[in-house]
Amino acid sequence: MLFEKILYPIDFEKHSLEAKPYVLKLKEAGCKEVHILHVLLPSEWGLLPKEEYDSIEKVEGLKSALSEGYSDALIKRFKEMEELAKEFEENGIKTKVVMIPGELDEVISNYADKYGVKLVTLGINAASLSIFRVGKIMDVLKATKQPILIVKSESEE
Amino acid sequence: MPLFKTVLYSTDFSPLAETALEYVKKLKEAGAKKVIVTHVVTSLSIELPEGTDLMNSEILSNVLPKADQLYVTSIIEKLDRIKKNLEFNELEVEIALRYGTPGDEIVNVAKEKGASVIVMGAHGKGLLTEILLGSVSVDVMRKAECPVLIIKKREE
Repeated sequence: MLFEKILYPIDFEKHSLEAKPYVLKLKEAGCKEVHILHVLLPSEWGLLPKEEYDSIEKVEGLKSALSEGYSDALIKRFKEMEELAKEFEENGIKTKVVMIPGELDEVISNYADKYGVKLVTLGINAASLSIFRVGKIMDVLKATKQPILIVKSESEE
Repeated sequence: MPLFKTVLYSTDFSPLAETALEYVKKLKEAGAKKVIVTHVVTSLSIELPEGTDLMNSEILSNVLPKADQLYVTSIIEKLDRIKKNLEFNELEVEIALRYGTPGDEIVNVAKEKGASVIVMGAHGKGLLTEILLGSVSVDVMRKAECPVLIIKKREE
């Protein structure tokens, strides 16, 4: 039960994808379900209606709230998440793909609570844990109650 | 892929560390073969160099004062109990008992032993404390070269 349902937030940077092999490996330790989450930061996407965008139709529904370039970029990202989900599905892991607007810490901790997530896996850049960068990842670490697997990458942001 | 082959399990013998031990055992199913059970002693009646190996019988018998000997021996007994528990679960086990700064020593042991992952509990101190002093888990996350599995204290 310890690794049964894993929340895997991604930001499409190389470091967030480096956690993928670890999530896949945890299937052997009982992982049955992986939720791939992309948080739509207000600083990047503006204020979007706070919903769980878990289908391409719902993401396409955001066209009216976004300018065309942004809307296409969002659809492209969702499709990339679906591609990623396929890898897990091919390995016998059930998946859910979802985009949610909001701040990183708030969205991740609320989602993990709401869906009974057993483990949060974060692929991060080493610099994001720097003592000089108090926000973002440190906020997620503080806000999340579930166990967290941190996979750190030294690659450039 | 040996992603979880050698696990460094850091314990302060708290209930949270016991919870973290369950995760260590579970990682066996994901390929864990060996566990380095690690504890860092932070205070003794004498000063020792950072990173001193307290499993070294020479130090234990000839360097430490009697009271410290008893204290360290009691810790070794606790570590031995954890070792037996893990061996019962068919994991190879090594004990690392060091003197020094916990964050630094946990990361040093992980490097020396080639740990694939560090598993530890995080008691979660206040925001200000963490920023100013750095809790052990945050220190380990910052300095470790391998992934870190943090088991958080659940607020019931």
